Amino acid sequence: MGNILTIAKREIKRLRSRFRGGSRLAVVLILAGAFVISYLAFRQGVVLGQGMYRVGISPRGPVIRDSRFRTVVIDRSAGYLMLGERAIDAYVDGNTVASRSDARSLYAAGALKQYLEKYELARIEGEYEIDRAFPLRVEVNYLPTSAESGLATQETSLSELVDAWTSGPPEPAGADQTMPGEPVSQPVESVDDTDSAVREQIRELESGGGLPRIEMEFMADKEIIVPSLMSPPIPFAQVIIAFLYILPITFVSVFFISSFMDEKTDRRITVLMSAPVTSFQIIAGKMLPYIGFSLASVIVITLFLKGNLLLAIAILTPVILFIFSIYLMVPLVYRTFKDTTFVSMLAVSVIVSYLVFPAMFSGVNDLSYISPLTLIVKMYRGEPFGLKEYLFSTAPMPFVFILSMYIGTRILNEEYLMGFRPLYRKVAEAIYLAIDVGRRSPDRAHVYLSVTLLSLFLIPIVYMMQLVTLALSFNVPVRYALGGLLLAAAVVEEVAKSAGVAVLLENRVIRSARDILVLSFLSAAGFLIGEKLLLYVSLSVVSESVLSAALFSSGMLLIPLVAHFVSTALVCLLTRRFGVRYYPFAVLAGSVVHGLYNLYVLGVIP
Amino acid sequence: MSAFYAMVKRELRSVTREKTIMIAIVIQLCIASFSSVILIGLMSFYDPDSIGLNARISIKAGVIGDANSPLVGFLNDCNVKVTAFSSPLDAEDAFEAGMIDAIIFVLDDSGVVEMKLFLPQSESLSTVILMILKEPLKRYENYLRQANGVHVRYLDVVGMPSTTYEFRYSFIIPVLMFFPAFVAGSMVIDSISEELENRTLETLWSAPLSLNLVFGAKITAALVLAVAQCALWSVLLRFNRVSIQNLGLVLLLAAVIAAIISVVSAFASVYFKDRERSQFMYSLFVSISAGISYFFDFSPIALMTRLSTGDYYTGIADVAMYVVLLLVLLAGFFYAARRLIAVPG
Repeated sequence: MGNILTIAKREIKRLRSRFRGGSRLAVVLILAGAFVISYLAFRQGVVLGQGMYRVGISPRGPVIRDSRFRTVVIDRSAGYLMLGERAIDAYVDGNTVASRSDARSLYAAGALKQYLEKYELARIEGEYEIDRAFPLRVEVNYLPTSAESGLATQETSLSELVDAWTSGPPEPAGADQTMPGEPVSQPVESVDDTDSAVREQIRELESGGGLPRIEMEFMADKEIIVPSLMSPPIPFAQVIIAFLYILPITFVSVFFISSFMDEKTDRRITVLMSAPVTSFQIIAGKMLPYIGFSLASVIVITLFLKGNLLLAIAILTPVILFIFSIYLMVPLVYRTFKDTTFVSMLAVSVIVSYLVFPAMFSGVNDLSYISPLTLIVKMYRGEPFGLKEYLFSTAPMPFVFILSMYIGTRILNEEYLMGFRPLYRKVAEAIYLAIDVGRRSPDRAHVYLSVTLLSLFLIPIVYMMQLVTLALSFNVPVRYALGGLLLAAAVVEEVAKSAGVAVLLENRVIRSARDILVLSFLSAAGFLIGEKLLLYVSLSVVSESVLSAALFSSGMLLIPLVAHFVSTALVCLLTRRFGVRYYPFAVLAGSVVHGLYNLYVLGVIP
Repeated sequence: MSAFYAMVKRELRSVTREKTIMIAIVIQLCIASFSSVILIGLMSFYDPDSIGLNARISIKAGVIGDANSPLVGFLNDCNVKVTAFSSPLDAEDAFEAGMIDAIIFVLDDSGVVEMKLFLPQSESLSTVILMILKEPLKRYENYLRQANGVHVRYLDVVGMPSTTYEFRYSFIIPVLMFFPAFVAGSMVIDSISEELENRTLETLWSAPLSLNLVFGAKITAALVLAVAQCALWSVLLRFNRVSIQNLGLVLLLAAVIAAIISVVSAFASVYFKDRERSQFMYSLFVSISAGISYFFDFSPIALMTRLSTGDYYTGIADVAMYVVLLLVLLAGFFYAARRLIAVPG
């Protein structure tokens, strides 16, 4: 521990020496600027497409206050003339909107329609009393269906509700005195009560686009909705907040990565490694200040937004560890500045997509729980979530961290760091170094255990790769996308399972077919254990998604194990027969077998 | 001049050899794909019509109460299959058996109508059902308003749902056209600070090459790559049937912005003289500029949107403004670079 702290102190000293004198002033100025800008953007809300449309308005037309439209007040004849000349995209002529038949004009009219709908609501709300302006109120109740009645927390039957409702207002004192076993009569809103719900929604509509509402709101079992005031369920404001948490962590990464790069370029890392400290202490010490900073930023943001501090820390600590485990790999594997910049850029964009985008669909699709930020969104919306959801989204992250730290300590040696080889060679070497082939004490090698654990720990990464392929598949027509997706998923899994055995083959640690079969079996078993663990958690959370059935094929334990073993053994035996150079082809062959098996599970092949 | 070309070639070769540019392209492809996933997701909630959600998903609703209510007609119009039930118990049975997705309790329509809607408890299911029911319910609401003597205007405006259009031209296209510029800036910083830290710049400089020539070559190489990427994106967008108006000006603007960003990043790297600080300040600078430009109408992002959608009043004059800015920056950089580099870091 003492060594870790010493290295952490050294790291902080290094950082401070970077920002002295003039550059410190520049940093302060630019950070202050960033703060002001983000505050202003936060206040103003996010609007896409400012000034996209030009719209003419007749002298008595509505006033348009929407930054998407640039408006000009012109009389009728000039308006239609300009519309014809394409100088404006649409013309609001009193109570109608005129447009041309080309796409640009039709989109402008569509956007106007959307805006004017809101405009009319505001007008009606001001001109008429509330009962005439908003004559329809819908009370939404949620009923358990037979399939999910086990999950239902409180079952209220529809007929009871309807009976209570049609029998008129309940007696004032009756509610508390119902006998157990008797149907509970629900208090029923009078028109005055729903009026208050309508007013509430009008207020929300008016404040929309301003500061996002972040106070805890309690989602009741039933809610009153007014169809014209209904807003889409996308939690934009909360997603922006979730993004706010990630931003400082990605910025601090520049320093963490540079720290290793610097030590590599001026070869100070050699000195450090010859000192009586372990590789783990070096990495942990260097990482500590940055993790500390990230945690501090989480605490500051949560306090500023008045969120639940303990919950936020519980959700984001695994996220921070996860992000740093990826950042750790970047400078260790890469050598030149340019590589580091691009790979870290790639890492940032994949991390941000993986974390932020699923959160957008919080409350819409349960698959959104794949990202812990969904939990942050839920937290700020005051919606409850259980331990299962928490485990489902955060559990893979510490696994990635442990794997990355382990590989990090293994490859932190001069020969590896200074070597200049293509990426796939670097990765293969890292895997080889991670496997305990008994470098220090040959009689205590743990090849079997290493291979099993390797494929177990790779699962979260496989999981993520498959998600990225899923997103990429949206660029391809659906017909090809599904087949491609299944094959890609199989390829990713096959690589994960066979990579360990392949590097052992390459380094001539194993040779016999028997060894290969045993290792393939262990690797398949390790993968299966991890997969089933994941499945166990996810089944309860993502039970509705067809996708999860395809990617994490459920079923009995024996058949999947055999399938995993057969495909992995095939890849490894082919690699042995034809040499490591043909490994990609071997993977492809194994993937085809694996893909066929997946199709069989899905029921495409009888 | 041949020395300049040789330098540019040297820079380009180092990028292609390390395959870094491929990574950059993958990043952009990732961003674009994830954005389109988001777009489809958003569309299904903001604008279900535009992706034909209502036509594809049909839901079955049970109606209790007034079966002759105009709401039933609106529901039928919007592809909702309506079954009438006489008693709540029957409806509940059908709901539990999964024969209907939602139950609507309709009363006669006089004055304020308070209706009850019963949805499945599953969040994902009820969200989708509610989204589909939104349109018929809105029509019914407007019907009730008319009955109350409240006139609602602009109900029959003809137009296309604009969400996709706006997202495409104000987000996707600017991102694809300006991300290469961001990459270019990063490349310039890496290239300059690598030579500064390895002290190879002095060798180059003492050779018969002026310092400005070296920097100019580095900026040019980054620019060439940026423009190539933008051209690639415009071809791919065309494949996806996204048409870009004023393509020439769009590419010119992308190139000019890439050049401006490269010059700024070159400034940063000769001022700070190490990669760490330069990259940090540079990424902060770019984020802040993107933030600021959000507030101004003449910003590159807004200009890109207007150019690519074919705005009537936007043309070469707007782009020329940025060319002037570029020239000023470039002159400033060439004037200051030698002085800055002489100051120890």
